[in-house]
Amino acid sequence: MNVKDEIRNFVVENFLFGDAGGLTDDSSFIREGIVDSTGILQLVAYLQERYQVAVADEELIPENLDSVQRVAAFVEGKRQGSAAGAGNAG
Amino acid sequence: MELRMVHSFLESSAAERPDKVALVHDGERVSYRLLNRSANRLAAFLVQRGVLPGDRVVILLANGVKYVASYYGILKAGAVAVPLNVETGQETLGRLLDELQPAGVILEQGAGFLLQQLPLAPGSVRFVLAADASFPVCEPRLIWGWDEALGGEELPEGVRAVPPEALASIIYTSGSTGQPKGVMLTHRNIVSNTRSIVEYLRLTESDIQMVVLPFFYVMGKSLLNTHMAVGGTVVINNNFAYTASVIRQMAEEGVTGFSGVPSTYAYLLHRSPLASFRDRLPSLRYCTQAGGHMPREIKERLLQVLPPHTKLFIMYGATEAAARLTYVEPERLSEKLGSIGRAIPGVTVRVLGPRGEEMAEGECGELVASGSNIMLGYWNDPEATARVLDADGYHTGDLGYRDADGYLYVTGRKDHLLKVGGHRIDPQEVEEVLMSSGVLLEVVVLGLDDPLLGKKLVALAVPLNGNPSDRTLLSFCHARLPRHKVPGEIRLVAALPKYSSGKIDRASCLGLCA
Repeated sequence: MNVKDEIRNFVVENFLFGDAGGLTDDSSFIREGIVDSTGILQLVAYLQERYQVAVADEELIPENLDSVQRVAAFVEGKRQGSAAGAGNAG
Repeated sequence: MELRMVHSFLESSAAERPDKVALVHDGERVSYRLLNRSANRLAAFLVQRGVLPGDRVVILLANGVKYVASYYGILKAGAVAVPLNVETGQETLGRLLDELQPAGVILEQGAGFLLQQLPLAPGSVRFVLAADASFPVCEPRLIWGWDEALGGEELPEGVRAVPPEALASIIYTSGSTGQPKGVMLTHRNIVSNTRSIVEYLRLTESDIQMVVLPFFYVMGKSLLNTHMAVGGTVVINNNFAYTASVIRQMAEEGVTGFSGVPSTYAYLLHRSPLASFRDRLPSLRYCTQAGGHMPREIKERLLQVLPPHTKLFIMYGATEAAARLTYVEPERLSEKLGSIGRAIPGVTVRVLGPRGEEMAEGECGELVASGSNIMLGYWNDPEATARVLDADGYHTGDLGYRDADGYLYVTGRKDHLLKVGGHRIDPQEVEEVLMSSGVLLEVVVLGLDDPLLGKKLVALAVPLNGNPSDRTLLSFCHARLPRHKVPGEIRLVAALPKYSSGKIDRASCLGLCA
């Protein structure tokens, strides 16, 4: 399974209680009420553990985290070491 | 002229400084003139729909320009603004509409399912204003679009005059125990509380407030009214989940004030770049906190991390008080760190015993508040009203005491008290000790049914980093609490369920334990 599918599964399992109806790769987590602020922290904790990437406080912005597509790109970027501002905070 | 109506704040600021920016949201900057005109047009639309003074109009909108225009527009029409949580479930919404019998509903996509349920809405509903999309027109005409509704003439100011004692808003409590209750607030309630807050925070037209709290929550509502009152600017950011974007916008907009509940500050401290922005927030004059007890640990850390010129106001209030009851002057905060302070101007808070007698200094009783900010009662619920309102004032349900300097301390809530074995335990005391370990982001202490003890103490804790062992935490408690107050179990979890206001949802936390 690729990163995008794994992230989608995580969101569906943890925030949509298994019901993926309506979730697209570009659905905004916050605007569409899929994930709240507590959930974003759960998502970040998952990324750090599952992909062994560090997410710096400065990176907690919607551009990195507000859809399945964005999260996947963010993680891929981190793994290739090309993400902007990839800090060492965890 | 003394302003007596909630919407007069907006009207007066629009007359005095029409071109000043009132609202900033997602790149949109709205002047007082434009905002007031939108509200006047919305009021005219409501009058055309047959809305009468005293009619309820429900707002189901996220924070934004349309929310603000709707809120003031409803008041200008002499009607009662009833903002509801946009995430209200279908069942609860049905029940609330039933008890409110509103004349109309203003909603957006998130609440769009209501549109399919219209046949089920109470017969009182004469119109639905869909704020963010076009909907098919059906006969008889029920659904209207935003542009269409605001396309007409403005309602001249003052034509729908109602007395200051008239109901202005019904705000639902988060319902931490039982069903949410609709708190009825008059224009006088809200105006007097708005004035007191402006006075003690010394708000002026130079103030720029960052709002991350929902306007349907009473604290969000007062951030709006206080800034409209002084002709300041409100910056709306609905992305608090992405803390870095909020802090960045605070720096860009030169925000002077920020407000939150305890969890807001826990996140800002531990999951945001606040510390690294310390020298990029030169305008941040103050931060305010209300919405429940904030652990000492977080207050102390905040005082270290916030820029040196930023004052921290610890405050206390209730929806039933139109928002605010007490505050601690920042100058005395470190000396009175555990206190909720003293009553704000125009408010009296006393510590009363079970027979209504005033308790002596240091003795524990219930906090009872009086003043022109205290609600009329709960909507459609005279019994619940009678339980909290009497000749002494509003019984907050919070237990506490007063010190020698007149500063008040809340020790816990009456209905959170847990009976464990033969002891009465306030979870707040145990939570405070757990937080002082310094390894937790947040914690809640609950009572689980126990055949032997009645209740058994269980702590749900969110660790800051890594996984502290529950044994270490328990021995930390053992060193600081009597044996019967030490939780029987500490469970580490990734997050605690919260209401949209950011307050911890204790009922859902209990559900997690099941």
